[in-house]
Amino acid sequence: MTHPPAERSPTAPVRDHEVLLEVRDGAVALGGRPVLRGIDLSVHRGEVVAILGTNGSGKSTLVRTCLGLVPTTRGEVRLFGTPPSRFDAWHRVGFVPQRATAAAGVPASVQEVVASGRLSRRPFWRPAGRADRRRVAEVLETVGLADRAHDNVATLSGGQQQRVLIARALAGEPELLVLDEPTAGVDLESQQALADTLRRLLASGATVVVVAHELGPLASLVDRVVVMQDGRVSYDGPPADLPPDPQGGHHHPDVDSYARATDAVPEVSSPVDRLADRAAADRRAWRQE
Amino acid sequence: MSLLAYDFMQRALLAALLTGLAAPAVGTYLVQRRLALMGDGIGHVAVTGVALGLLTGTSPVLTAVVVATLGAVLIEVIREYGRASGDVALALLFYGGLAGGVLITGIAGTGPNVLYAYLFGSITTVSAGDVWTTAVLAIVVITLSLVLAPRLFAVAQDADFARVAGLRVGFYNVLVSVLAAVTVTVAMRTVGLLLVSALMIVPVATSQQLARGFKATLLGAMALGCVASGSGLMVSAYADVAPGATIVLIALGLFACTWPLGALMRRRQRLAAPFSTAPEPEEHQLAHDEQDHQHGPDCGHRAIPHGDHVDYVHDGHRHAPHGQHYDEH
Repeated sequence: MTHPPAERSPTAPVRDHEVLLEVRDGAVALGGRPVLRGIDLSVHRGEVVAILGTNGSGKSTLVRTCLGLVPTTRGEVRLFGTPPSRFDAWHRVGFVPQRATAAAGVPASVQEVVASGRLSRRPFWRPAGRADRRRVAEVLETVGLADRAHDNVATLSGGQQQRVLIARALAGEPELLVLDEPTAGVDLESQQALADTLRRLLASGATVVVVAHELGPLASLVDRVVVMQDGRVSYDGPPADLPPDPQGGHHHPDVDSYARATDAVPEVSSPVDRLADRAAADRRAWRQE
Repeated sequence: MSLLAYDFMQRALLAALLTGLAAPAVGTYLVQRRLALMGDGIGHVAVTGVALGLLTGTSPVLTAVVVATLGAVLIEVIREYGRASGDVALALLFYGGLAGGVLITGIAGTGPNVLYAYLFGSITTVSAGDVWTTAVLAIVVITLSLVLAPRLFAVAQDADFARVAGLRVGFYNVLVSVLAAVTVTVAMRTVGLLLVSALMIVPVATSQQLARGFKATLLGAMALGCVASGSGLMVSAYADVAPGATIVLIALGLFACTWPLGALMRRRQRLAAPFSTAPEPEEHQLAHDEQDHQHGPDCGHRAIPHGDHVDYVHDGHRHAPHGQHYDEH
């Protein structure tokens, strides 16, 4: 796979504010396969950064690395100035993972799922208090789901479930909000609700990192865009200077990205690792044909 | 009620009620993590523990707790590092446990009847010492399941989110497995190792027919487990049938009663659901015109390879991208 070297745009205007998220010369491999290379990224307080890119470009892995969910093979990661492994002020971070549904094997009400967002703010032995309940009601109001608080989350539409996950992240009153594809497969109404929620959040001075396929209704909120391509940052700057899509409005990723394993899921098919390695080698050989 | 005047019957009832409370409490977390059969697997592993106890002449309950806990931790380790392959490795462990148990019992020279008592329960032979062990273990399981409920819930619901909330996901996963192992050995005397999983899972399945929330499911399952084990014991005593099997069949009977009710409720909910505020055709049209949706491998639409390109199923028909618009295929 040969690709033209990533073109670095002039860096975004440097802010004087505190750096909340920082990756220096970061590289990541999942299941032995390099996914990220030469990543340099810092997010300052008050910024709204969108991370864009096609499937498999590493955008999701990038934010997961920043949060310490994926280990780096090289380079340094800092979360509020601390490596994720030693970080303990998790109530300062709100995370919306990429998920198709907010439900699991047992029914859970919208309120119960959102209440998990308060856990980082209290020790394990203390049950939820009045402040916790008030905050949960507040964020449900914010995302427009107050009337569904006691419903089983599995009965909600995909867009509404995504709003539940966002409410859960907001419940902990984070300073930094990280959203992994909150708009994927979400109806327009919910996308708009998400944009409105973020707008209100920004008014209160929050910092937001959002991974997305395309900006959509978020475009007017974002003040910096980072484009990922094949595990590298190919653009980092204001959305206005974003170069036109090099693929000329083409809608389907090329065949190569079907063959490529999706990011964040190392493919292992058997307890015996050697078999998995062989499958990976087969896939590589097939791709090169 | 004359049967309850006997000491052995009082002990049996106490053991049954505590088991009925503890088993569904842990079972709820197993179902939430979609590991409903894990209790069954741990039960198989515990057979080896019982056999080791018989062989060495120590308390089978003690050795079963130790071996089942080791097995549970091993299962968790395999799940953590073995990824998708976990179920095969688990199967190896389960059947190894059962076969090892049967083999060791044979070597120990005890007859099949002794092992039978552990496989299918023999609640009426529970001694005073057994009741104390059972009570202490069951109370520990119930307390941890309830006090740590918010955290165990968050970890099982969404592990990635829980990690970023600062919860030690690995620790809580192992904890649930160990609680399951302890529960298996607690329930060993009541319903037996081969039926213990039923008491962990069936009340949960029953409870979630009617409950809308997690707390309601958890408490409902514990109540149902208590009802099933208490009434099952009494019925079996009067009718002179096997108590373990009676308890499990009553639990299944309760499920059979609530299932139609749950199905009816879900149907009414579907009928009562309001229409979407944004009419479907309009949204569809927007998707075509504004190109605000990009079809791709994980875009949510079903992909169908079609000759030299891929179609995406969209609102009941097939889209094939062509320049700036979609063709219908």
